[in-house]
Amino acid sequence: MIGFGLRLAVAGGREALTRLIIISAAVAVGAGLLLATFAGVNAVNAQLTRYASLYPEPSAGGGGGEPLWWDLREDYFHGKQILRVDVAATGADSPTPIGIPSTPGPGEYYAAPALQRLLAATPHDQLGDRYPGRDLGTIGDAALTSPDSLLLIAGGTPDQVAKLPHAVRLTSIGDNTPALPETTVDLIMSVIVAGLLFPVLIFIGTATRLSAARREQRFAAMRLVGATPRQISVIAAIEAAAAALAGTALGFVLFFAFRGSLAAVPFTGDRFFTSDMSLGVLNVLVVVLGVPTGAAVAAAVSLNRVRVSPLGVTRRVTPRPPRWYRLLPLALGIAELMFFLVGPMPETSDGQTAVFLPGLLLVMTGLLLAGPLLTMVGARLMVRRSTRPTTLIAARRLADNPKAGFRAISGIMLALFITSVATGVITTIVANRGPAPIGSTDAATVATYAHDGPPSVPGTVLASLNSVPGVRSTTVLRANPVKYADAAVVACTDIPAAYGRCAAGATVAVVPDNLIPYRQSADPRRVWPASSVSLDALPRLPVESIVVLTDGSATTIERTRTILELTYPTYFVAPNVPGDFESEFANTLRGWQQLANVTIIASLALAGCSLAVSVVGGLGGRPPRGHRGTGRGLDLLRRRQRGRQSPVGVGRHMDPERHRDLPAAGRRIPSAVRQPDRPADSLQPARHRRQDRRNGPVRRPVATDRRHRGHQAAGNAAAGSPDRTALYERRVRSAVRPRRRGRGRSRPLRPRRRERRVAPGQRLQPRHAGARQHPAL
Amino acid sequence: MTIAIEARNVVFSFGTTPALRGASLAVDSGEVLAIMGPSGSGKSTLLHCLAGILVPDSGEILFDGVRVDSMTETQRSSLRRDRFGFVFQFGQLVPELTAAENVALPLMLSGTRRSEALRRAYGWFERLGLEGMEQRRSGELSGGQAQRVALARGLVAGPEVLFADEPTGSLDSLTGEQVMDLLVDAAREQGTTVIVVTHEPRVAAYAEREVLVRDGRVNAPDRIAS
Repeated sequence: MIGFGLRLAVAGGREALTRLIIISAAVAVGAGLLLATFAGVNAVNAQLTRYASLYPEPSAGGGGGEPLWWDLREDYFHGKQILRVDVAATGADSPTPIGIPSTPGPGEYYAAPALQRLLAATPHDQLGDRYPGRDLGTIGDAALTSPDSLLLIAGGTPDQVAKLPHAVRLTSIGDNTPALPETTVDLIMSVIVAGLLFPVLIFIGTATRLSAARREQRFAAMRLVGATPRQISVIAAIEAAAAALAGTALGFVLFFAFRGSLAAVPFTGDRFFTSDMSLGVLNVLVVVLGVPTGAAVAAAVSLNRVRVSPLGVTRRVTPRPPRWYRLLPLALGIAELMFFLVGPMPETSDGQTAVFLPGLLLVMTGLLLAGPLLTMVGARLMVRRSTRPTTLIAARRLADNPKAGFRAISGIMLALFITSVATGVITTIVANRGPAPIGSTDAATVATYAHDGPPSVPGTVLASLNSVPGVRSTTVLRANPVKYADAAVVACTDIPAAYGRCAAGATVAVVPDNLIPYRQSADPRRVWPASSVSLDALPRLPVESIVVLTDGSATTIERTRTILELTYPTYFVAPNVPGDFESEFANTLRGWQQLANVTIIASLALAGCSLAVSVVGGLGGRPPRGHRGTGRGLDLLRRRQRGRQSPVGVGRHMDPERHRDLPAAGRRIPSAVRQPDRPADSLQPARHRRQDRRNGPVRRPVATDRRHRGHQAAGNAAAGSPDRTALYERRVRSAVRPRRRGRGRSRPLRPRRRERRVAPGQRLQPRHAGARQHPAL
Repeated sequence: MTIAIEARNVVFSFGTTPALRGASLAVDSGEVLAIMGPSGSGKSTLLHCLAGILVPDSGEILFDGVRVDSMTETQRSSLRRDRFGFVFQFGQLVPELTAAENVALPLMLSGTRRSEALRRAYGWFERLGLEGMEQRRSGELSGGQAQRVALARGLVAGPEVLFADEPTGSLDSLTGEQVMDLLVDAAREQGTTVIVVTHEPRVAAYAEREVLVRDGRVNAPDRIAS
């Protein structure tokens, strides 16, 4: 039976082959997307794992062996993050960082290819001077999160590196990577799964049910000759699985063909390595076994919904119309969201999440539940307003089974809802927490934080800072000795006007360590509170930070940053513009936004494919006979089958060369044959007859229908069979010839009724005495 | 003569609409019987009940002395496949299969190897004047040819009873006569019992006996089993 099912699927003629190709292509797209989804998740995981490996946990066991000192710091250049790793080997047995052949010594470094390109293209006083020493070569892909990673591994002495903030001792490399932040991975998974996977599965399911109606008719024919229901299920499952298997194989081809292109799309803000877009054994098994098995199960399940009897296919259950209570979850969700939007909204992010997430989940569930009901209501409205038969029939069919209609679009609806919400949230966050606007004081402020609190800033440093073109002011802030207040204090006379002024009577003010309050902007009207620190005591306080106000140009900012880094090489947080952090965060968010956009586009494409397959599948069967009986045009009922179905026959594939000997079955009977009393020229096309009436008879080679009949007759004669067409025509003529002349069909069956005028109040009298009169009259 | 198949007081309804109201009928082995009646009289329903396609609401169907109406779906499928043959108004051919494979289908479904099933199928093409049509699909056959292929499929397994429901209903009268000639000749040759449902007297004329179904009852049975 398996072989028979395979033969039906693969060698069942042109129509079966076409169906197989369409289903395979659809499954291929779905499987390809599924593989891309798995590979994308793997790539994101690989990226995050490599990123996390740059922040290793200290090796356990204290000071045994010859450890490697490791310290990672973050630097910035034009809003991009540069990761700088300082390493120092304490002996020959110290582990070597991943991605480089040996640990660099003091004054040596390895740089990522992208950073090497950036260093080569940028003036040294803006970037290269920050990393003095000898370039030993490039860092390998194994240590990079992305081809665009800006990573530098610089060597130092153990004493130097050990003093850096957050330096760690490592006795081995690679086994002390911290666990991935689960929330991030969960977010990725939920967005991808909900946004993309659901439509993919719906698409595959829709594709495997393609032309189910025709298959069910064929199964009925098989049941007639003795196929058991089990045999039918096996055949259906084999057919679906065969197409799905071919589609899956094609999906792998598609995936590997486009893997490089997919890796180049910065879904998470950074490109992937092509090798990271890999598939695990489990991924491959899930697709190779899951898709065909799923298709086979879907085919079997769809057959379970119908009863394939030898006389045809009957639906087991007439779907009940959806009830009003399906609206409840949607209404509850909307009400909950509205309550907290209009009323008391929690202040914290966690509180808002706790409040809004259940509401959104309720709305999601509610949309899925209410969808069929809303579809039914919409369809009924369409029924009332429809003026065309096509609209009327479509609306009636939709209203009869709104669940089936809604099922086709439920996937895309859910995907669009989730991704739209995600995009809205991300856009809002980016708008609120993005980099400072160009030209603002915020975007022109460079601040550095002294790690070890030096007593003063050398005058040469201040002079070199002030000598950078574009630098407007340099302010040294001291550490505030008072806890639970802003971190710095500064003399009121040193505060640049762009950041505000002191309160009246104050000589020393309490200020943030970059003169800009957290998540606020610099404001010249801001009034800083007075500090209890006296002006005399101020120089004795350690340096907290240096704030440099520039003209905002990238060149000035990077030059300033370079000078500050060289002044304080043990920095933990590099000299930065407030927007640097936000810019990095915004870049990540933009990556997510891009991912959401890609998901929306892919979902729309999938939904379009699903709908197209549904439409093609719905048109694949024989049109309802009742529709044909109403005189509806074939193009209206089934444009796809034009040329396959004649007005007198169904589904015939006529090849004139192969079927010369066939009688007129499946072909239009000429009108003159059906009405033999019509003149001979009625066999001509109507266009020719109209021309003849206007211009007189014109000789033409052969009329279309006459040629058609002649062709048949010649074919029959060639095949050695009698001219059955002619015989048929004679029989038809004899059957419809009037038996008695003068009593044609045009004679009315009843004498025409004369109009009778009846005056108001006058009774209608019988015409003649013998006419039957109603007793009431 | 032994009774091949028999219906006893068969009642069948489509929902609330009664189709058969106690129909009884017995058919001898090798007999060619025509069931006639106006549209909606229940003649096709009676045939479907006799063939095990429909299960009557009450009454009995006996084939070879065994109750058909109490068989399981699988048993009735086996019965249709191995001991019954069918020719319906529309050929009911599987469009994906060639004509030869359609004829061989009942044999393949019963487990016969494909090559053997096709060999036996090819023999019927010559007998029914269908030489050269073996590799055509149903869409490439004329109505008469398709019906002859369906006839070959109905007879290929050597059925004991051949059920024909309006076998010429979709054919012109000339082709219909040819099909009926072939049907009756081939059935007689094999000793197959033939039950034909028709409303055409010309088709019924091929039968040895006619019964009339009216309002769900067999009105003029020659013999009712006692």
